[in-house]
Amino acid sequence: MTNRSHLRIRRPATPNTTRAIRHVLVAFLTAIGVDEDSRDDIQTAVGEALANAAEHAYEGTEIGQIELAVEVGENSLCVDVIDEGNFIERDRRPGRGFGLTIVRAIARDVSVDRRGGTRVRMVFDTGHLPV
Amino acid sequence: MDGELDLNRRAEIREILRVDAPGSPILVDLSGVMYADSTILAELLRFHKEAAEHAVPVALVIVARQFARLVQYAGLADAFSIFASVDEARENLLMGRQR
Repeated sequence: MTNRSHLRIRRPATPNTTRAIRHVLVAFLTAIGVDEDSRDDIQTAVGEALANAAEHAYEGTEIGQIELAVEVGENSLCVDVIDEGNFIERDRRPGRGFGLTIVRAIARDVSVDRRGGTRVRMVFDTGHLPV
Repeated sequence: MDGELDLNRRAEIREILRVDAPGSPILVDLSGVMYADSTILAELLRFHKEAAEHAVPVALVIVARQFARLVQYAGLADAFSIFASVDEARENLLMGRQR
């Protein structure tokens, strides 16, 4: 059995933190051999999910945690963005963002699980990864 | 504006993207932006609407591939006048004024 790479980060859900988490993700993608174009796209999609969580998950409540979990497959990447707050789709707010539209345009599969918080799962095709 | 345009910089973006002089064309130079998320798209849409209400032509300069693709993924490629260089954008705005 091959031991595949993975990444897991858990931090307070603030805009500053989401930027830092995004930077760690890009460094991780570079380290495992994801090409630049795919890195850009994955950063874009995951950045939207992180921003959505930081902006809305803990609206009106004490700021909680946000978690990024990445599992590397042979030809794909599974990324979870998890919070313990409320899910509000930015797309549904008139004149606001395009978060999930962008995520869905990039990821091969997207699912949102709202049980006990929100888990946005995105699966990306990466081509063969050496790690 | 340059660097990373994300949630951290929404207030700054909102402050910068304002229509001050009705009728005068505006060139928004985003060539130094290395990363953008939908925060800037929402602000650009608001600004674009405000400019249209004042009959102000707007040209955007976007160079980073990530930013250009973000606009496409959001389905907004046709919503803005986007150029790959400041010269190109300026030329387009000048031609528009001569018509």
